Amino acid sequence: MADNSHSLLSAKNLYKSFGGIKAVDNASIEVPKGSITGLIGPNGAGKTTLFNLLSNFIRPDSGEIVFDGEPIQQLQPHQIAQQGMVRTFQVARVLSRLSVMENMLLATQQQSGENFWNVWFHPGRVLKEERSQRERASEILESVGLSHMAQEYAGALSGGQRKLLEIARALMVQPKLILLDEPAAGVNPTLINKICEHIVQWNREGLSFLVIEHNMDVIMSLCDRVWVLAEGRNLASGTPTEVQKNTQVLEAYLGQ
Amino acid sequence: MEGYIVSLIIFTAIFALFGLGLNLQWGFTGLINFGHVAFMAVGGYVTVLLSDLDVPLPLLIWLPLCVLIGSIFAALLGLLIGLSTVRLREDYLAIVTIGVSEMVRLVALNEEWLTRGAFGVQGFPLPLQGFAPTLLTRIGMLAIFTGVVALGYWQLWKWLRQRLKGISRQAIIRSSLAVSGYLGSLGLLLYGTVIGARQLKLAEGIPAWLVGLTLLGALVAIISLYTWLARQTIPRLPDWSAGLSLVSCLLSLVTGLWIYQFAAHAIYTYSRTSIKTGLMFISVLVVALIFWGLQKLVRSPWGRVLKAIREDEEVAKALGKNVFWYKLQALMLGGLVAGVAGALYAWQLTTVYPDNFQPLVTFNAWTIVVLGGAGNNVGTLLGAAIFWAYQTMTRFILADIVPLDDARLGAFRVMIIGLLLMVLMVLRPQGILGKKEELTLGR
Ligand SMILES: Nc1ncnc2c1ncn2[C@@H]1O[C@H](COP(=O)(O)OP(=O)(O)OP(=O)(O)O)[C@@H](O)[C@H]1O
Ligand SMILES: [Mg+2]
Repeated sequence: MADNSHSLLSAKNLYKSFGGIKAVDNASIEVPKGSITGLIGPNGAGKTTLFNLLSNFIRPDSGEIVFDGEPIQQLQPHQIAQQGMVRTFQVARVLSRLSVMENMLLATQQQSGENFWNVWFHPGRVLKEERSQRERASEILESVGLSHMAQEYAGALSGGQRKLLEIARALMVQPKLILLDEPAAGVNPTLINKICEHIVQWNREGLSFLVIEHNMDVIMSLCDRVWVLAEGRNLASGTPTEVQKNTQVLEAYLGQ
Repeated sequence: MEGYIVSLIIFTAIFALFGLGLNLQWGFTGLINFGHVAFMAVGGYVTVLLSDLDVPLPLLIWLPLCVLIGSIFAALLGLLIGLSTVRLREDYLAIVTIGVSEMVRLVALNEEWLTRGAFGVQGFPLPLQGFAPTLLTRIGMLAIFTGVVALGYWQLWKWLRQRLKGISRQAIIRSSLAVSGYLGSLGLLLYGTVIGARQLKLAEGIPAWLVGLTLLGALVAIISLYTWLARQTIPRLPDWSAGLSLVSCLLSLVTGLWIYQFAAHAIYTYSRTSIKTGLMFISVLVVALIFWGLQKLVRSPWGRVLKAIREDEEVAKALGKNVFWYKLQALMLGGLVAGVAGALYAWQLTTVYPDNFQPLVTFNAWTIVVLGGAGNNVGTLLGAAIFWAYQTMTRFILADIVPLDDARLGAFRVMIIGLLLMVLMVLRPQGILGKKEELTLGR
């Protein structure tokens, strides 16, 4: 296909029903390479479910997903992450009894120390990798303002701090695309601005984002393009200003 | 006495290994395995049955090979359990493991052509059978043994120094004096109770229920008094835990040396007939080696993935970790370690019956791991030592003071373990070496 050259993620005609509820009903979405794409819609519109389908945490009933030119429906969730698409969770999930730093280090891909043979027989290599990853993790933690918490248990973080840790952890994966599920929910306004700045900066460095967010200011300031979902169906898509003027979208939000 | 100590060390080592396997599966990975004894049974049976075959290899090579094959079979059992359940929710794993362990035992009981059923397997070759070392070899063995013990003490010393860092000398002395006074008087009181109870039991004409009731009353009184005392002193003694660490390190130093002296003597006087001493030597070395290997693992990125799975496997998946494969690895490696324990267990028992692998043995492993603190390998070693110290001591003491016949006494000892575990769960749910802060973390 011609548009594969600039589209990083494209999902077509996804369906998923839970019993009687059609959570995602023939929805499509596309994320161009190097973009920050928004995904909005009223509560219960199926946005999180769509994320679950894209990352294969839930298998779609039908539809096709292409990431970076390859179909990925048949892959396991961890394989999708390894391909370079990392999702975060709406309710931030941290590994409580691991330190913040360990949460970060875990996310690194292709660590030779994750093979027990190397741990026993190539300890030097494992140690060297750990050291360089630790430096990278410190830098990222610094940028989201969590460096003072690095040695604390992640379970000791506040709700907002957990959101930050999730984003930082996703970054450690060095992915091509990060799916953010409401990154600003529960984070204080100054910090929201800071996160937005960082997202823009990471985006300039070549990382793409797909962002679910109810905070329209965030969507307006970040996104190149926005997709609107309502009752599992595509309602509209366009630039943030176009979408905001769209009467159908306004109805969907107000009709709630 | 020496014989008792040697077999105490062997049992402790075997169950330390056994517990380490469970700790890897449950303590680090969160896999609930209620059938851990199955791995031990497979490891033990395969080892002894293989070693009985006629093979043109010297025993010195063949026996370790048998253990290796036996534990690989145990690991394969782990693979099988994993393949059939790990994709299901974790409570299914718990149920399946119970079933598998009973199945293994029943197969051993009924497939007489293979396992000789209830008659048991006996007369299989034992390690170092007929081994008569020269003085030089014995001294070499002693040196190796001493080296392992010294390494253990060195670790203890490092830990203690860490604990006492930044606390003034005066505070340490004050709190350790208080702690030793507390523990010493408690010990004396308990000792007195034991003596008194023994006299009561020996005295004619006192009904058994009265003896039991008096004993129980005395124990309850002592425990209440000392709980109250602890509540009173702890707030006034801010550094009490440093004192406790110091005193318990000293205590373990003294008991350790006391036990070491018997073991060392046994090794020094090793002769053709002292088969148990050889087994002790082997067991201690094996535990030390496997413990070291596991410690390396759980502190590595590999161990970090296991802990991540324990905390939240969805997160591990989202970060690109093949959760299924790591669970399999944990099950297999834990099974392998338990399989080695099974081989040592068979050698210690010298006759292997299916009845040696009752579900109670799994319960013992859980006791050991919970006692020491889940997800802490040092805790598991400590748990095994405490568990077997308890087993040995109660065997001698309880019969003297509790008015029960032998069969009931056995059940009574298990009951007390249950009671102690309950008390532990109330007072220190994280286990002896567990970290308290981890309990209050929000999910
Ligand atoms: N596992 C599930 N089982 C049954 N129904 C589900 C499940 N997950 C989601 N749903 C249903 O699917 C619909 C869409 O839910 P989803 O979480 O995707 O909404 P959302 O757009 O993320 O909403 P919000 O903005 O509130 O987060 C809801 O009606 C929800 O009840
Ligand atoms: Mg949602």
